[in-house]
Amino acid sequence: MLQIRDASVTFSASDGSAVHALDHVSLDIAPDSIVVAVGASGCGKSTLLNAIAGFLPLTEGSIILDGEEIDRPGGDRGVVFQKDTLLPWASVVDNVALGLKFAGVSKAARRERARELLDLVGLADFADKPPYELSGGMRQRVGLARALATDPKILLMDEPFGALDSLTRETMQQLLASVWARTGKQILFITHSIEEALTLGTTVVVMSPRPGRIVARFEAGFVREFAGTGDIGPILSDPRFIELREEIRALIHRPAAKGTLQ
Amino acid sequence: MTLAADPRAVFTHVQPAPTTRRLPANRAGKTVSSGTILISTVTLLALFVLWLVATQLGWATPLFLPSPAEVLTQFQAVAVDGYADGTLLQHTLASLGRILVALCIGVLLGVPLGLLMGLNRWVRGTLSVPIGLYWGLPPLAYLPLLIIWLGIGESSKIVLLSLSTFAPICFSAQAGVRSVPVERINAALSLGATRLQLFTNIILPSALPEILTGLRIAVAAGLSCLVAAELIAARSGLGYMIMSAANFLSTDVVFVGLILIAALAFLFATGMRWLERKLVPWKGKI
Repeated sequence: MLQIRDASVTFSASDGSAVHALDHVSLDIAPDSIVVAVGASGCGKSTLLNAIAGFLPLTEGSIILDGEEIDRPGGDRGVVFQKDTLLPWASVVDNVALGLKFAGVSKAARRERARELLDLVGLADFADKPPYELSGGMRQRVGLARALATDPKILLMDEPFGALDSLTRETMQQLLASVWARTGKQILFITHSIEEALTLGTTVVVMSPRPGRIVARFEAGFVREFAGTGDIGPILSDPRFIELREEIRALIHRPAAKGTLQ
Repeated sequence: MTLAADPRAVFTHVQPAPTTRRLPANRAGKTVSSGTILISTVTLLALFVLWLVATQLGWATPLFLPSPAEVLTQFQAVAVDGYADGTLLQHTLASLGRILVALCIGVLLGVPLGLLMGLNRWVRGTLSVPIGLYWGLPPLAYLPLLIIWLGIGESSKIVLLSLSTFAPICFSAQAGVRSVPVERINAALSLGATRLQLFTNIILPSALPEILTGLRIAVAAGLSCLVAAELIAARSGLGYMIMSAANFLSTDVVFVGLILIAALAFLFATGMRWLERKLVPWKGKI
């Protein structure tokens, strides 16, 4: 259980003014749920994720994971980045095993575990390749396997499929839904795609910029159907899906939000 | 909750696109580089022919431009009988020894200090000023000072060469640390890395390509300082041999020395390229 209580992050801009990247945000992420934060650029969704990961200190408030307050990065929160952060000098299997290496697991044991995870993400045949011989989508799958290897309490995913082409992206969404169904990990997922948010989230929170806030929260749950069938078509044409999509779109594009873009 | 169908089934059709895509790129790269080697070889041969023709037709007196045959004869004579108190091998080894010692000192001091400068603001602030100051000076300008302090023996030359190799290695190690992507560090931290693990597993290998670039610059800087220092103050070495020969207007021996130095420089450059391929095959790939 992850509890975010009144979390605020304030930067000072180059002209000395205060930028409220995150303004008194409260949010719970229950075990076995995927919370997707969606919003326009600058709405604080990445700030929220970075604060939970421990990369960024909170100005106010607190973040508590299973009763322990978070104040630095740690192995109990697995992070999948938008940018490729694999180590080019290590093979794919050793990249996946990196967290286990840090934890002091023996070479044979950590490679065995890494191979299991590569099998889970469909890359068993690429274990011994260097990461730069893989495509962008494959690298993100390695990143997901690497984050899962240490069995973290929560997965934090920062627009992980944002740089992928739309077909690869759909395949990755299927993969994530089925990995979630199999592992039951709690996940915080950041995206700027409303359809991706609704497809993957058990809960979707909509954020708006300046100051970064949660403006609405929806229980979606299409991901359960998606994880079961692996077919996105019926979900996309589901009337409730369309209704929610339009509602969220209106929230993100409402005039007030547009006005603050100037 | 519904359990998923086997997620692997979804991916069986995915092709390893980049591996197949890389091959033609590599092939093209090889064609280009072998083509360049051919052009370079032809140029080298053309220069040699020009040299041969110029001396055969008497465009210049042997005092200014000795013929290839004369240079070859001198090469054998210097190699067997020696010149300026030493055989060619002795002079070459003297020069080679100096630059290798200086490179070792440069690496052993420059890499750790540069890494520290990259990691710590205080070390960086303190050391960058003196290193930056002396690195800006032409080495031959402070060589007389080193000779006053250390005498005309080996130590002044070793110190001069070490100073010239130390700075580029040190600065490149620092730059290497500073260039590690912050996402890579964050990724390691969120995988549970301690500070020491972060340094040995992430920062050091990430900085290695930059350090090797610094080593390459250090080799070039060291070679140019070496010969210059031997010209001014030495009793052995290729630079000393060239200077002695020049005093007696033995242009052919000067040529022998120059060709050997060029060969040494080429060997060092080839060695560095080999080292880069061996140690950082991923350079430029990500």
